[in-house]
Amino acid sequence: MQPKPLPIRDRRNAKNAPGATEGALSENRDDPDDTLDEGAFARWFCAGARAAFSGPAFYVALSLMGVGGLARAAGFPIGAAMLSTLLVWAGPGQLLFFGAVAAKTAPPAIALAVSLSSVRLLPMCLSVLPMLRGRKTRLATLLAASHCIAVTVWAESLRRLPDLARPTRLPFFFGLATVCIVLTTLSTALGFWLTGSLPAPLGAGLMMLSPIYFLATTARSARSGADWLSMLFGAVLAPLTQSWIGGGLDLPALALIGGGGAWLVGYFARRSR
Amino acid sequence: MSVFTGDPTLAPYLALIVLGFLPSEIWRVIAVFFARGIDEESEIFLFVRSVATVLLVGVVVKIVLIPSHELAIVPVWARVAGIAAAAVAFFAARRSVFAAILAGEAVIVWAAWHWGG
Repeated sequence: MQPKPLPIRDRRNAKNAPGATEGALSENRDDPDDTLDEGAFARWFCAGARAAFSGPAFYVALSLMGVGGLARAAGFPIGAAMLSTLLVWAGPGQLLFFGAVAAKTAPPAIALAVSLSSVRLLPMCLSVLPMLRGRKTRLATLLAASHCIAVTVWAESLRRLPDLARPTRLPFFFGLATVCIVLTTLSTALGFWLTGSLPAPLGAGLMMLSPIYFLATTARSARSGADWLSMLFGAVLAPLTQSWIGGGLDLPALALIGGGGAWLVGYFARRSR
Repeated sequence: MSVFTGDPTLAPYLALIVLGFLPSEIWRVIAVFFARGIDEESEIFLFVRSVATVLLVGVVVKIVLIPSHELAIVPVWARVAGIAAAAVAFFAARRSVFAAILAGEAVIVWAAWHWGG
């Protein structure tokens, strides 16, 4: 049995209590004002980069290779394909953008579709940013961090950040995100060139890589019954909202019904304990 | 109406920024201003976590049920079987992401090879 960690507020108070040990990071895990010297920052940045190279960066890079092909099919130059990964940094949004341009969709409809597909970035950022933020974290740092958050970085952050001391989270996060974004930008360019030269079965395998990866990492970061219930509700309700609501509004509806339902069940379960 | 109006070298980049980058980035910027003052142990945080998880699974379901053309060569039962194989391997290998990918990919590529059009 692991000892149950103190709630965060209690740990903050414990630090200020007389006799609390000073110095060692492990004793100051949740002090938001703690800053790292440059050497420690570089070490934790590299630790994040290593975490990215251990798998996530390659999966997200492979899963977004198809975007390069779509960009080429839509008549975009290779620079725009790479820039879409750097700037949009959200696979479904990029697929929608290039797919819609190729289908000659009216520009306002393209913007609306991309925006609807990216609503999910809001709860993702809301769940990761509080883990990164200290009292002195600058607005520009938060904006840069929020730009790095897409499903891969989000899932890895939920899985790894809670176990890290708070001051080490930002450098770790930026190391992880930088490697993911740079490698994926290069793979988008590779996909631009590779289009059409891969045999069809391997192309199909490439398309399924990211869905399987995203599902598995979400399941791996699940910590409570409500997390598993959220996955179940998503799987069961998505086909229903898609056929009953559709039209780009089915994801917001799914989020409200499924996410709200899973949270309510968890809420009453916690209350009754 | 084309997105490529105006200067032909700049138009694709302008279209990307106005129709791709900004509509997407707005949610991240909103999150930064909302994130101030949210306690990560609070109910709103747990609610938001549930919403994000449901949306992710929902997007995967959409990709599996309404695939783009590379994936559409695989019959729908094989796409679902690929996800099922990934789930079984994931739990059998003690929550291994790698095992899930290996099993799921094997089923999809094998099915595409045999039944792909």
